Amino acid sequence: MRRAILAVTGTIAGLVALLSFKSHDPAVPVASTSGTSGGSSTSSSPSSSSSSATTVPGEFQSTTGTLTAGETTITGHVANTVYGPVQIKLVVKSGKIVKVAVLEQPTNTIHDIQIGEFAFPRLISETLAAQSAKIDAVSGASYTSAGYINSLQSAVDHGL
Amino acid sequence: MSQRTVLAIIGAGALAVIALWWDTTPSASGLGGWLTGAGEILGLLAGYGVVVLVALMARLPPLERGIGTDQLARWHAMGGRYIVSVVVAHGLLILWGYAVEAHTSLTSETATLLTQYPDVLMATVAGFLLLGVGIVSMRAARRRVRYETWYYLHLYTYLAIALAFSHQFAVGASFVSNLAARFWWSAMYLTVAVLVLWYRVAVPLRAFARHKFTVIGVKAEGPGVISVYIGGSHLDELAAEPGQFFRWRFLSRSLWWSSHPYSLSAAPGTDLLRITVKDIGDHSRALSQLRPGTRIIAEGPYGAFTAGRSERGVVLLAGGVGITPLRAMFSTLPGPVTLIYRASSEGEIVFRDELDAIAAARGAKVYYLVGSRAEIGGDPLSPRMLRSLVPGLDEQEVYVCGPSGMISAATEALRGAGVPRRQIHFESFEF
Repeated sequence: MRRAILAVTGTIAGLVALLSFKSHDPAVPVASTSGTSGGSSTSSSPSSSSSSATTVPGEFQSTTGTLTAGETTITGHVANTVYGPVQIKLVVKSGKIVKVAVLEQPTNTIHDIQIGEFAFPRLISETLAAQSAKIDAVSGASYTSAGYINSLQSAVDHGL
Repeated sequence: MSQRTVLAIIGAGALAVIALWWDTTPSASGLGGWLTGAGEILGLLAGYGVVVLVALMARLPPLERGIGTDQLARWHAMGGRYIVSVVVAHGLLILWGYAVEAHTSLTSETATLLTQYPDVLMATVAGFLLLGVGIVSMRAARRRVRYETWYYLHLYTYLAIALAFSHQFAVGASFVSNLAARFWWSAMYLTVAVLVLWYRVAVPLRAFARHKFTVIGVKAEGPGVISVYIGGSHLDELAAEPGQFFRWRFLSRSLWWSSHPYSLSAAPGTDLLRITVKDIGDHSRALSQLRPGTRIIAEGPYGAFTAGRSERGVVLLAGGVGITPLRAMFSTLPGPVTLIYRASSEGEIVFRDELDAIAAARGAKVYYLVGSRAEIGGDPLSPRMLRSLVPGLDEQEVYVCGPSGMISAATEALRGAGVPRRQIHFESFEF
């Protein structure tokens, strides 16, 4: 019995020690390297309304998308996070960000996917509200947020 | 290998596993991050721990020889309880952590994990299997479950380990993007699998072909105690020593499906071995029905309970049927020997004639301490009693074999009589 108590308290103490040594905010988690960075394209053919069958206003899923007149897309560079690469694309109309697409996101684990499902809609809403890359990270998704902000920043630097 | 070496190796492995986690996972933030992080560490430890537990039972000669089967079994039981708890905690913490980070409820997170991720579903089944085996083993330790039930349920742990393997690579944060880690982790699993197949399957089958173990005859030694005489060829090549045991799988219709450990109860000859068994379970009872000519697959010899030469003398302390390995040692040990045989009744004593004959032939002493504590008036295994039976006891090597209760009582009495711990050797008769 004493052994069991010792084993349990020892394990808990070990876990707490390990996790507290590791739990500081990610300082510079993104090392950005990419060949496909910062490209922009202007829509040539005016078409009908953009298909926005998404839950979050301003988010669009397809990588090509359909653009209305006067819209431009700017692709951010790929930001590599510890969980995997993040890349976004902006749709800009008259100097304003009107839509954000997530081209690449970490999908290695269930965890990554679930965090993305939660975090990206929030990050996109923030982006549309702030109209810049100066947005807050979503709590519980600091790495994904940092990757998003990094890619967003490169797109903003390039195009706005 | 000494106990300390083996524990150091196991500990170093655990540290390496924690280093792997440290290296491959980002820092934890928020409640969800902490829960998930703790779950990941425990998951890795469990994945490593099951391999260690299997390796301890893989009949590796350095471990069997250096540590002894009974000690290995105790470590395995202790480690098994710990690892099963770690597995359960791993599952719960991951579930909780993911639910917090995905901002969903525990139930919906559970449903997601079980329905969307087949690897996780398999691992969950594995977790429940391990939990079941753990519970049955604890009950078996308290003798509420038959040995055979316990033995066969234990085989499900191999299934559990196989079922749980894939989820480690498919969803484990430390492995998904780390090829080197996957490689070494697989190598660890594979190595232990090969060792198990080699030492638990190939070696016994090879010995079966070479030594042709066969039942020669069965002899009643006393009420409920029988000896089985086993013939074979080239038995000297086994280099079995008095005090060691084999795991015997008698190939008769009712017994072939399980193997049981029984000690040699006489010095091994070149073509004859003897084991002596007390009627304590279905298996030992069935042994009395063995027909001469029955073939046997024997694994062994195992056990570190063997004696070297000691000029100052050796004391053998037997409790009940624990006499069997000591009987073999009694006739072969060089130098002065004293045998103390504790039994609760006259009827329980076996080999009395043999023991008296050996004692007379080699000029050794045998003492029979017979009777329940109430009849004798206290435990006869007291420091004073031991000292008065064996002059110069504290200088001698003492070998104790019997039920675990008797062993702890005897060890305490010996320590009380001034025998240093390193001179006390024991083997528990029930593992």
